[in-house]
Amino acid sequence: MKKTNLFLMIFTVLVFIFLYAPIVIMVIFSFNEAKSLGVFTAFSLRWYEKIFTNTEVWIALYNSVWVGAVVTAVSIVLGMMMALAVTRFNFVGKPILDALILIPIIIPEITEALSLLVMYVFLNIPLGPLTVIIGHAAFDVAFVTVVLRARMAGYDRTVEEAARTLGANELQTFFRITLPVMYPAILAAGLLAFTLSFDDLIKTLFTTGPGFKTLPLIVWSSAARGGVSPDLNALSTFAISISLLFAVFRIRAEKKMRGV
Amino acid sequence: MYAVELDNIVKKFGNVAAVDNVSLKIRENEFFSLLGPSGCGKTTTLRIIAGLEEPDSGVVKLHGQDVTDVPTHKRNIGMVFQHLALFPHMNVFENVAFGLKMRKVPKNEIKNRVKMILEVVDLSGMEARRINQLSGGQQQRVALARALVTEPSVLLLDEPLGALDLKIRQHMMVELKNIQRRVGTTFIYVTHDQTEAMTMSDRIAIMKDGRLQQVGTPTEIYFKPMSAFVASFIGEAINLIRGRIQDGILTTQDLDQPILVNHGENSSEAYLAVRPEIINIDSELEGLDNIFDGIVRDVIFKGSYIEYRVEVGPRIFVVHQHSRSLMQRNFTVGERVKIGWRRSEGAIIPSSSI
Repeated sequence: MKKTNLFLMIFTVLVFIFLYAPIVIMVIFSFNEAKSLGVFTAFSLRWYEKIFTNTEVWIALYNSVWVGAVVTAVSIVLGMMMALAVTRFNFVGKPILDALILIPIIIPEITEALSLLVMYVFLNIPLGPLTVIIGHAAFDVAFVTVVLRARMAGYDRTVEEAARTLGANELQTFFRITLPVMYPAILAAGLLAFTLSFDDLIKTLFTTGPGFKTLPLIVWSSAARGGVSPDLNALSTFAISISLLFAVFRIRAEKKMRGV
Repeated sequence: MYAVELDNIVKKFGNVAAVDNVSLKIRENEFFSLLGPSGCGKTTTLRIIAGLEEPDSGVVKLHGQDVTDVPTHKRNIGMVFQHLALFPHMNVFENVAFGLKMRKVPKNEIKNRVKMILEVVDLSGMEARRINQLSGGQQQRVALARALVTEPSVLLLDEPLGALDLKIRQHMMVELKNIQRRVGTTFIYVTHDQTEAMTMSDRIAIMKDGRLQQVGTPTEIYFKPMSAFVASFIGEAINLIRGRIQDGILTTQDLDQPILVNHGENSSEAYLAVRPEIINIDSELEGLDNIFDGIVRDVIFKGSYIEYRVEVGPRIFVVHQHSRSLMQRNFTVGERVKIGWRRSEGAIIPSSSI
C-alpha cells in the first residue's frame, strides 16, 4: 500500500514537471538580468519595463480585450438562444443541429482558420477587426452552447411554472427567474469565451487585416522575427497571468453553478 | 357558484388520454382531493386548472368565468408544486413577495402581507434565510406562504408532502387543514396517498386511467364504494364477493350459503363489499344476518388492530379486530371460528359500475 502511494506520488510529480517546467522556466527567465537564456545572473524587471513602455504592446492588449469582450457578448447571446432551442423545443433537424454545434470543437483550429479566410476572400470581405471577431465568435458559440446546454439539461423548469402561477408573464419569468438561475452558468461560459478569444493566435493570424494586432499576435511575430528573447518571456508571462486570472474566475463560477 | 368547474375535459398525450372526459364541480372553500394511482391523470387535471396544460377539448371555469383560454398568470390561482419549485436565487422574503411584486402591490403593503402570511405558516423571523438553509418542512411552508400571500381564489397543491418523512407529513396534514380553515380558500389537493386525502378532504374524487371513478366525502367513499376499483383502492383491505342478487339475497359460486344484503333491485351480477373491521370474529356468534364457519389461516398483529385471514370454503376473508390489551383472547392459526356481519353494513356495487 505504502509503496504504491510513493510510486503514485513520484509519478504525479513527474507529470506536473512535464506539464509546467516550460512555463516555470519561461517565467523565471523573464526576470533574468542577462539577455542570455542559458544562465540566470540576477533578478531584474528590465524586460517588463521594456514591454510596458512599448506602445505596440499596449495597443495589442487593448485590441485583445475589446475583441474578447465583443466576442463574449455575441457568443453568450447566440449560445443562450441555441441552448434554449435544443433543450426546450422539438423541431425538425434538432438532432442534426445538436451534433453540428459540436463540430467547431472537434475540427483542427488550422482548418477553422483557413476556412474562415477562404470564406472572407470568397465573399470579398475586407480583413480587419470585424473579421477577427466573426471568426472568434463563430467558434466560441459552440463552447458557450455546450456549457449552457449542460446546465439547462439539469434545470428544473417548474420554477418557471411557479413564477407563472404567481402572475409573471413569459418575459418577466425569463428575466426574473430563468436568467438569474442560469447566471453562474452564463458567467462560466462567458469567461470561457473570453479566454478562448484572448488566447487565440491561429484564427486571428489568418483573419486579421493589416495593422490590427492582438497580444498573441505580437508575441508570435516578434518570436518569428528575432527568435526567443527575454522581453518575449516577460510578455508571455504577462499574457499567461491574464488568462490564468480568467480561468480562476471561471472555475469559481463553475463551482457555483454546480452548487458546490 | 362553484370555485372550479370542469366540463368534459379531454387531454391526450400522443394516443393516450391522460384526462378522459372529466367533469367536476368544486365548491367554494372546499378542501377537495384528486386521488388515484400514479398515471391516473390527477396531476394533468390540476395542471389544466392552473393553465399549465391546455385541454384538447372541454371548458375550465373559475368562479363561473370561462378561463379555458386565459393564460396561467392571469388566472389568480396559487400552486404548490411537488418539488416545491422555490426560487433558489431568492431568500424567504423574496420568494414569498414574488407574486405581490408581479401584481405591483406597494412596497409597504408587500412587507406587511409577507409578514402576516409567514405568521400563518409559522415562519416568522425567517425572512432573510436562504432556501437551502431551511429544513424540508420549512421549505414546504415557504412554498405554501408564497402561493397563499396573493390571496388566490383557488389553491392547487400537487403532492406537496411527498418528499417529507412520515412524522412531518402527519404534522403537515393537520397544519394544512388548519391553514385552509383559517384562510378560507378552496384547496385542490392532488395525491396518491389515501391517508392524506382522507385526513384533510371535505370531498375526494378518485381517478383511474384518466377517468373519474367516484366523487364523495371520505366516509361515502370508504363505506359506499361505487366500483370494485374504488372499493379495493381505498382502505387497507376489503372483502369483495361477486354474485347475483335476487330478492335481497346474494348467491355466489364460492359459498354454499346465501348472503343477506340490503339491496332492493335484482341483479345478475354485482359485488358485495365488506370492510374487514365490520366483520365480527368469535368462537360463537349470534344475532348477525350473515354468519360463516371458518378456519384461521393467518394472524397478523398490526398494533391498533389484529388482522385475521379466515378461510371459508374456497374464500379467504380479511377480518380486523381491535387490539385492546395483552390479555385479550386472540385466535390462533388453524382454530375454528365464526365470522359474521349485519346485512345493512355491506355495500353493494351494481354491475353497471363494475
